Amino acid sequence: MLSIFTKSQMYITAASTISHQPTFKNAGFSKLIEPLKIDSELISPNFKEYIDAGLLRRMSKILRMSVTAAKDCLQQAEVDQPGAIIVGTGLGCLQDTEKFLNNFLTIEGLLPPTSFIQSTHNTIAGQISLSIGNHGYNMTHTQNTLSFEHALIDAGLLLGEGNDNIIVGAADEYIEILSTIGEHLHVKPEVNLTSGASFFIVSKEQSGKSIAKIKDIETVGLVQDIQESIENFLINNTLKESEIDLVLYSDFNDLKDSGQVSDVFKRFENSSELINYTNIIGIYPSNSAFALHYAVDRIRDNNKIKSVLIINGLNKINLGLILIESIEA
Amino acid sequence: MSVRITGIGIVSAIGLTVAENLSSLENSKSGIGKIQYLDQKGDYLVGEVKCSNRELISRLGVKSQPISRTSLLGLAAAREAWGENKHSSKLRTGIISATSVGGMDQTEHFYRDYLNQNNPDFHVLKCHDSGNTTERIAAELGISGYINTLSTACSSGANAIMLGARLIEQGKLDRVLVGGTDALTQFTLNGFRSLMIYDDQWCRPFDESRSGLNLGEGAAFLLLENEKSIDFSGNETLCCLSGWANAADAYHQTASSPDGKGATLAIQNAIEVSGLSALDISYINAHGTGTKNNDLSESVALLNIFGDNCPDFSSTKPFTGHTLAAAGAIEAVLSVLAIQNSIIFPNLNYSRAITETGLIPITEFQSNQPVTSVLSNSFGFGGNNSSLVFSVNNS
Repeated sequence: MLSIFTKSQMYITAASTISHQPTFKNAGFSKLIEPLKIDSELISPNFKEYIDAGLLRRMSKILRMSVTAAKDCLQQAEVDQPGAIIVGTGLGCLQDTEKFLNNFLTIEGLLPPTSFIQSTHNTIAGQISLSIGNHGYNMTHTQNTLSFEHALIDAGLLLGEGNDNIIVGAADEYIEILSTIGEHLHVKPEVNLTSGASFFIVSKEQSGKSIAKIKDIETVGLVQDIQESIENFLINNTLKESEIDLVLYSDFNDLKDSGQVSDVFKRFENSSELINYTNIIGIYPSNSAFALHYAVDRIRDNNKIKSVLIINGLNKINLGLILIESIEA
Repeated sequence: MSVRITGIGIVSAIGLTVAENLSSLENSKSGIGKIQYLDQKGDYLVGEVKCSNRELISRLGVKSQPISRTSLLGLAAAREAWGENKHSSKLRTGIISATSVGGMDQTEHFYRDYLNQNNPDFHVLKCHDSGNTTERIAAELGISGYINTLSTACSSGANAIMLGARLIEQGKLDRVLVGGTDALTQFTLNGFRSLMIYDDQWCRPFDESRSGLNLGEGAAFLLLENEKSIDFSGNETLCCLSGWANAADAYHQTASSPDGKGATLAIQNAIEVSGLSALDISYINAHGTGTKNNDLSESVALLNIFGDNCPDFSSTKPFTGHTLAAAGAIEAVLSVLAIQNSIIFPNLNYSRAITETGLIPITEFQSNQPVTSVLSNSFGFGGNNSSLVFSVNNS
């Protein structure tokens, strides 16, 4: 088990999400948001305000969302050059991957290279660095549902090494074949498969821009005992269940109704507000990054919320935990 | 900085074990040849691991399927690096792998059948995602907890090693298996063809006539341990990872900058982290893919750092082919072997220096060399540049 107690603190100084919900440039969205509709679609901002039109034409959905959200973060934080760019993605650039599969399997002779070039997972972080001319640390984590948590842990390490003002985020894109695959594998999620990108700036010092603080992050791959892992995480942070004001959790099918995990929730039920964030944002592997933005938005909006715990159980073999605190706490 | 390396494992076109790889290197025996295993038309030169999936499954005793070739290769190398080590609840053990294709070796067969409506097997898609590649290796080795995968194209393997070292340095893990794995796929072979940088001849790194790369496949892992872990394991230190750095070139999505900016930054910072000076580097295992662009940009970076005093250097890609995400890990294991055995590997297929830079690589196998520190470069798509420094263990 890994618990991150960064030598330095981790303050969130900007947050930006593009998703199927009205999250972009809409502080306070957590108050207004309604459960995801069945026929929901990605709510696209005017990408041209952020990306050169020539580049934009070649960019897939995941690249547009990511570059735009990252640039929005830089504007919010009033940072010209971040110290590093760290991205998590569960499935990477699916649109270009499928396009290049199609191309080489059907075209005889010369193949257009663009979709191959843009199919690699690190295209996202690469395009962000290119778009702002950044020469710093550039990393891409891809550990299916824990990709964002791993990116965040990496950011914590970097802050401890003296780096600062890091862009960290996660993105995944929906393509139609995912629904077909789900049907064939007899996986029937209760909510939609969606696309989303959430990016943040994390800094080591508190400033007037600080919105919230990340206290700890942990990933447990091939988790054996979810309840014990959560208990240990809270003990390591000298917290009791009753001290958590808001629990944001995720499960493919609702955790609250299923076996092992229900005990976990009983412990929070009396004192904490419980919200399944996947019901709000839909299913994509890195949707816990949205949960972080949601937590930050709630904290900014309501000074009674001091501690938020994100329990990412989207994939039952993996557990991700993020502890967020309000600045005043 | 200094993190101990106590285990190594490798599977490549030149052998299924560390010993087999070393023997091929000593005998200047390349593993690149015509396609034997990959389902792909054409006389392409590739560095395949000389073992079918069925043979790998049987050798490794893997029970549950589907499993990607990427996972199988990774498991073979990770198991060799892990060796006889024991699990302990007192030690925080992790695994970080790197891959660029993940389960694409299975997915591309599925997708062909899917397009042709030829009864596609949807179940193989369960091993498509890169994270699954690592989870399968972790499960077979009995590792849980910190399981992570990096994907930064051709620098992925080096980045996995670097991340592992940083987690140990900051006291987050006691020991960690780090490395990378990539199977040869039609996807990547056709991808590099589409970029017009696939050489139909033997790849010729650092040669004036170079005209592209040959793809390879394989995997390598290293075991990194802190003092607490070594007290438990009693493992001997093979050598140390002493420097690491990652920098973005921010020049072009696929091409490297002509002034070698990202590469220069990565090399410079890695040497700085190691506490050594450029003069202390005994050998450089170059990225040296054989493409016009990489080798020129890397040569410029070497001149930027070392000036007229460039240490002995070579690219080992004419032995293994370019193994993409595994390359940084495979070349890390070769760097360890260079230090352990006081040897320097030849840059095969070289005849004439690049006009602009004039740098001449080592072309014959050298033994009895005082190899105390090795610089290993890994540069990739998206301007991801990483360098590692390995040093003889002085403690």
